[in-house]
Amino acid sequence: MIPPVALVLGLALKSLFVLDYVHVITGASWTGFDLYTGIVLSRILRSLEVPARVEVAKRLTPTTFFIIPSLAAVAITSGIYLAQAMGKFDLGDPWILAAGAIVVVLTVQGFGVFLPNGVRIFLELAKAKPDPALISRLTMRNVRLAASQAVFQVLIILVMAHLAVY
Amino acid sequence: MNTSALAAIAVFAAALLSVFGVLYRMASRSHARGELSYDGIRILRWALLGQLAIFAILALTAFLT
Repeated sequence: MIPPVALVLGLALKSLFVLDYVHVITGASWTGFDLYTGIVLSRILRSLEVPARVEVAKRLTPTTFFIIPSLAAVAITSGIYLAQAMGKFDLGDPWILAAGAIVVVLTVQGFGVFLPNGVRIFLELAKAKPDPALISRLTMRNVRLAASQAVFQVLIILVMAHLAVY
Repeated sequence: MNTSALAAIAVFAAALLSVFGVLYRMASRSHARGELSYDGIRILRWALLGQLAIFAILALTAFLT
């Protein structure tokens, strides 16, 4: 709940500084989570047996229910408000269009695949007789998706760096 | 008021609700078959409420710009 409340605070104060801070911290945390999951955690999970993967999923999945959608939604929303406030929200600008295209891909992946998969993992874990193979498969799908998201986020940071300087 | 921001947030919330709706139906069927305990349904409802709270706060931002 902290990221959306911080965004409301930044907008209520009409502070470009707070808005910029909220955008950078949420975007960086989202990217950091995906880079860590996609590069570090995926290697660890691949080396584990299925029951051990399930134990990791039990602890990891409920955390990602709220943190990632909250960070993603606030990073995107604050980014649009920031671009508007700085007079850079020009849909004829190829860099803004590139940022928009990457955001669409990240949003569809995150809210259309990552989140539902997380819920399915949780529901399977909540069953009296969970299917370890299904949990492991869904967890590994999310880990691979995080790696793909990390690539798009590295690209969007390149676009952001260009927009911030030029 | 930022109408386009409000519309975008409404579209996202509707998409999320439809995804959760499908999952909730799956969970209800599992519960009816006796595979899933009521705790699973209860936590799913809390998760949905949490997501809706995030979108409600984001919708508020459309009135601040």
